[in-house]
Amino acid sequence: MNENETELKVQALVDGELTGREAEDLRARIETDDGLRKLHARLTAVRGLMAGAELPRTLPESGDFHWSQISKAIEREERQTKRLARPASSAKRLLRWVLPLAGIACLVLVLSLQQTTMPDLDILLGSDHELELSIEDIDVMTFNTGDDTMSVVWLDYSIDLQQDKIDLWLD
Amino acid sequence: MPEEPAYSSAKEPQLVEWAKVGDMQAFEELVSRYRDRIYVRAYSIMRNEDLAVDLSQNAWVKAWQRLEQFHGEASFPTWLSRIVTNLCLDELRRQKRARTDSIEAMEETTGPVENRMEMETVDPIEGLGREELRERIDAALAKLSDKHRTVIVLYEFEQLEYREIAVKMDTSIGTVMSRLFYARKRLAGLLKETLKRDGLIE
Repeated sequence: MNENETELKVQALVDGELTGREAEDLRARIETDDGLRKLHARLTAVRGLMAGAELPRTLPESGDFHWSQISKAIEREERQTKRLARPASSAKRLLRWVLPLAGIACLVLVLSLQQTTMPDLDILLGSDHELELSIEDIDVMTFNTGDDTMSVVWLDYSIDLQQDKIDLWLD
Repeated sequence: MPEEPAYSSAKEPQLVEWAKVGDMQAFEELVSRYRDRIYVRAYSIMRNEDLAVDLSQNAWVKAWQRLEQFHGEASFPTWLSRIVTNLCLDELRRQKRARTDSIEAMEETTGPVENRMEMETVDPIEGLGREELRERIDAALAKLSDKHRTVIVLYEFEQLEYREIAVKMDTSIGTVMSRLFYARKRLAGLLKETLKRDGLIE
């Protein structure tokens, strides 16, 4: 260990940063070395002088003015933060309206689609009306009244109906 | 009508809790209690009134923004003091980047020269009041380089350990020890000089 390192170790000992075996060994050296003993004493004295030596000072502006500057800066920062966050919150607000509207629009579309694909059951079908389906999976039952004035056609929609798959002719 | 909280008589933890939920008046009370203390710490490092005021204000703004992160591990003023110290160190780094490094480089190479100087003996002086001694120490601190003064302030006043100072100053523990040693040596020398000049010691 060179002289400079030893000095730094003595300082670390004074500062309580050197512990354990290393501290014990150094203490033993200090007892037998005049130079190290002096250094230890001087560093201890400097530490003693510095304890609580920070000179108290008063803020060189009035408390009210200081606070007004702080509060203005806080408000400014908060405004800026809000401004940065605004696009996200606007988008959220927009979605809050758009999503239900889109849902309603989809529902209307589906209903209107079903309206165009489903046969109008209010129509009275005569025995001479013909129903032709291109998909065989759809179950169809037909009832004719005894006097043949009315026919009821029962369609089982267990699959999705698409207009291009079903051709209806009402003669 | 609910009574307004008595801010001036409220205890610090209560004020902090109120401030955490957005009570600006509680925060104002905290500012009024600790503004000088925070300013002193900023001034000790920066040695410039205007900068110290600005950095103190910034520290309070940061404290408001980070109140959620304060969980009372240290006292509120200690927590604040750490904030203002960090801001001062950032400012010193910024200043260092802004100016040529020639002065800093010169300071760093004064080590071996200072190394040959003996550590001065400065014992408490008879007849010299604590306040006067403080003022002399303060004047001596003002004459130290930024790096030497900062390491003294962080160790002696901010009461950080070597390890913590190394992290804050972005350097090694060895450098912190070395800077602290030379800073104390220089400080002791400056004090002795001023005391001799005034005939307080031979």
